[in-house]
Amino acid sequence: MTGAATLRRLPFRLLVLAAFALMLAPVATVMTISVFRDEIVSFPPTGLTLDWYVNAWARREFARGFVTSLQVAALATCIGVPLGTAAAYALVRARLTGAQAISTLLLAPLAVPAVVAGTALYMFYLRAEFWLDRDITSTLEGLVAAHVLLTIPWTVRLVTASLQGMDRAAEEAAANLGARPFTVFRRVTLPAMRPGIIAASLFSFIQSFENLELSLLLVGPGRTTLPVAMLNYLEFRVDPTLAAVATVQILLVAILMLVTDRFVSIARTV
Amino acid sequence: MAALVLPAGILVALLLVAPMVLLFRISLNEFSPTQMMVEATTAANYLRAVGDPYYRSVLLTTLAVALGSTLLALTLGFPAAYWLARMQSRWKSLATIVVLFPLLVGNVVRAAGWLALLGNGGAINATLLGIGVIAAPLPLIYNTGAVVAGIVAVVLPYMVLTLAAVIEGIPRQVEEAASNMGAKPFTVFRRVVLPLALPGVAAGSVLVFVLCMNTYATAVLLGGPRFKMMAPAVYDQFVRGNNWPFGAALAFILLTITLVLTVFGSAALGRRYRRRLAEETT
Repeated sequence: MTGAATLRRLPFRLLVLAAFALMLAPVATVMTISVFRDEIVSFPPTGLTLDWYVNAWARREFARGFVTSLQVAALATCIGVPLGTAAAYALVRARLTGAQAISTLLLAPLAVPAVVAGTALYMFYLRAEFWLDRDITSTLEGLVAAHVLLTIPWTVRLVTASLQGMDRAAEEAAANLGARPFTVFRRVTLPAMRPGIIAASLFSFIQSFENLELSLLLVGPGRTTLPVAMLNYLEFRVDPTLAAVATVQILLVAILMLVTDRFVSIARTV
Repeated sequence: MAALVLPAGILVALLLVAPMVLLFRISLNEFSPTQMMVEATTAANYLRAVGDPYYRSVLLTTLAVALGSTLLALTLGFPAAYWLARMQSRWKSLATIVVLFPLLVGNVVRAAGWLALLGNGGAINATLLGIGVIAAPLPLIYNTGAVVAGIVAVVLPYMVLTLAAVIEGIPRQVEEAASNMGAKPFTVFRRVVLPLALPGVAAGSVLVFVLCMNTYATAVLLGGPRFKMMAPAVYDQFVRGNNWPFGAALAFILLTITLVLTVFGSAALGRRYRRRLAEETT
């Protein structure tokens, strides 16, 4: 009753509307402009076209940036999610001394500003290059290692949540019925962790794909990620070509979310 | 089983803790225009960052923008979160995904969207020029207002999702009881919903404040060349100024101030919540 009464009030409705408009307006604008024919935006447009997408793919920095970002995100997710899952399992199940401190450490990459972490890592890589006598900055390995750092806190957080929500009686029942510990893990515990692991993979991949700040100093000539390529372009102008690139990223994220949502309800994992 | 925590722990220690220790060490070095960096143990970089009027104003701008954006995000985010939490139809999970979506799209894409909307040749100016309302483009971009709008849009999803999770835990009956006893909707909100949602307000505000303090892409793209916040200032020292020790000192000042303010902020809100609880129960 009261909920409904509040929900009907005009000021309340306006605030909700404003919040959603603010969140969605930039995404909607960039998608709209990407199909306008005019290079200099005008309303109404003189026509619609998909040429800007062809144009964007023809620009090497965007095409290569897209491929590099896909590579980095895929590799970082494949490394970070298993590591984070193992850590989350140990944190919840093993009675670790200092579990609180370990969990703080694993979540720390979220608390440190990405620009600060990126510069620190850049300094560290330069020092390591000197000791090891090999390139690390502006290599794929260096970039992937940095992005693994992004995937760990998300994985630990999401998998921990799915483990904490699990009823341990199911495991005990399986063990009492004669299942070996590994079978219990494979047939009971792992399925319970599955939604957390799937959501963690989605978040890790996207967080890595869209990350700008951590990569800024670690990318090298010829190996730029898509967000860095977009930032460099945007510092001079915004035009339909860039809008097309941004739209491709928006669509990629949308597709990943829809596919994931078929396996686990995203709305319930966050 | 405890060993399972080691790979991830070692990785974070190696790739985050060790580099941060190194960065701190660098912040104590001296800058030399010819050799770039000289080993030393001096607080000079920190003193310069605090004493220099330019960097003091950068820090104040960052604090003001972060505080303002956090308050705005709270004001706009609370109604949206309440609406989302009290939704009962099958559209609820869709609405949640709509909130989550802009968050996952990334800062650069959203900044590009604001440029396309607010820029001199952007959608708003193009429309107004087209229908002849204005003769020259309005200066909608490259000012503090544009940066704040951009930041609020970036952090709103975090605020809404954090608050919605807490509001969902508040039983509807509490609100109904208050309103059955004659409380107006706004009174119910102020005296019942808000106090019970305080832990969510604290968690959401702290999370959002940290994100605001660390803004990079939004500040660079929507603020223009003359607007400076801390994170871009740190980056500039490493790339354009090549003054690594000073850049490192700026980074640690940003980190420390953010950390101190979030600890104090959440402690203060937590105290208020506990006092409220104590009042209710006695």
